[in-house]
Amino acid sequence: MNRAYQFLLLLYPREHRDQFAEEMIRVFEEASAERRARGHAWYIRFAFAEMNGLIAGAADAWRDRGQAPSAPEQTLPGELAEAQRLVDMNIAAMVHAIANHQFQKARLFSDQERQAREHLRVLREKYGRYNDEYGMPC
Amino acid sequence: MTEPVLLILTSLADRPRHGYALLRDIESLSGGRVRMSTGTLFGALRRLLDDGWIERFELEDTSRQKQAYRLAGLGRRQLHQEFDRMKQLTRAGLARLRTSEAI
Repeated sequence: MNRAYQFLLLLYPREHRDQFAEEMIRVFEEASAERRARGHAWYIRFAFAEMNGLIAGAADAWRDRGQAPSAPEQTLPGELAEAQRLVDMNIAAMVHAIANHQFQKARLFSDQERQAREHLRVLREKYGRYNDEYGMPC
Repeated sequence: MTEPVLLILTSLADRPRHGYALLRDIESLSGGRVRMSTGTLFGALRRLLDDGWIERFELEDTSRQKQAYRLAGLGRRQLHQEFDRMKQLTRAGLARLRTSEAI
């Protein structure tokens, strides 16, 4: 369950993870231990609510991020910022589709995101920017 | 003001709390009706921090240091306004109920 929680945290924008991931995991572990002690049915309900909450929370975080000006983008060259925005948009759309159980759509956005990320990788090489915003290897 | 925001601000009204203490207090404040998920809690905390309604606070814990949150001046003012609005609405609503029941 902890592993699933940490995996779903990857759906959040990097800034959110940097700010809250460690704390969210700690709170989840504490709440998880308490619900487990209350009984099996309590724990199942809790686990289901947590997973749903994470997916919906990730969608909200991407939506909020889209509305706020992003600091890293302001310092990036134009086409690199545009490629980064395309990756972000596809991730946000994918998370939104998952949250609404539209899995076919989610797969489509996932494919588009992979292509956009590849384009971003090429541009990062071109501009010598190897610091991936998501903490993933370029 | 959404219900999660109202509950978080109310929970922080008397003292700073860390994440897990907030979850427990919110459950207790709502009489067990609201069991907030960590996704909802930290999404609301992020927005409240961004808007300057709450602030981070280092809370000394017996076992380890925990990141806590406390109400900022702006959040306190917003909470007062919200309670005033609710009081006014409650008064108006009860008056209408009494009037309709008296007929």
